[in-house]
Amino acid sequence: MKKKQRKEVEKATLEMTPMIDVVFQLLIFFVVTLKQEDILSHLDVVRPAAVSVAEKNPDDELLQVTVYKDGYVLQGFPINRAELERKLTQIASYNSKVSLIIKCTGDSPHGNLVQLLDICAKNKMTNLNLFSM
Amino acid sequence: MARKNRSESCPLDMTPMIDVVFQLMIFFIVTINLTDTNNPEIKLEKGPYGTLIDNKMPKTVLTVEVDKNGRISINNLRMDHNTFRTIVKARYNRIGEFPLLVRGDYRTKHQDIRKVMDMCTELGIYKVWFAAIQRETTSGQSAARP
Repeated sequence: MKKKQRKEVEKATLEMTPMIDVVFQLLIFFVVTLKQEDILSHLDVVRPAAVSVAEKNPDDELLQVTVYKDGYVLQGFPINRAELERKLTQIASYNSKVSLIIKCTGDSPHGNLVQLLDICAKNKMTNLNLFSM
Repeated sequence: MARKNRSESCPLDMTPMIDVVFQLMIFFIVTINLTDTNNPEIKLEKGPYGTLIDNKMPKTVLTVEVDKNGRISINNLRMDHNTFRTIVKARYNRIGEFPLLVRGDYRTKHQDIRKVMDMCTELGIYKVWFAAIQRETTSGQSAARP
């Protein structure tokens, strides 16, 4: 009788507790270390080759934007980011094939250039040439 | 009687919970990416209108990271300008022209980006792409940015 009872107890005990402990530890580790990546985009420019500018179609409208440390200059007029966006949208609305010559000063932060390129991408301007100065 | 009591003392059925936990475990094990393949210090500028970077991108594109101090790295492996030039040259000789994807920090001075681009232009690479953040995720790289 005694023997039988012991057998019954052994049959029922599959210890779940340590396994659940370990699994929870692992789960928490993975949840904490999981890092979601940002979704990235790319903005394309063409660097001037020695001859490419001379080959430009003369019918294309040329627009010149200079990127400075603290703002932009469009066709010689200083302009802030919001104004620039408005102007470029206006220009693109009647001629989306406009060519843009982007000049970038050495001490301007890269973010300014990317913002300008983003405005161009928004207006579907693809004819972008990047000059450094 | 005693037996019934014992089985009732643990009325919580563990099986579904363990199922769920295992499912989650397997999900996290599969999706986790322990090695950083890109420099985590680089904070990109936002560019919601740019072309999405996904696996439809040409395989030939070379990604170069330029941090805010102008240091170059590829896949989080820092290198000097000469090493970078050698790599680009070797790649150009092997596969011809390829686009260069620049992951530049938004604070990087343009002159540092220019150095990288000039090296590539010298070798005949005129297509330059700049990486930007199209859509941020909650715990993403630019979360700390104001």
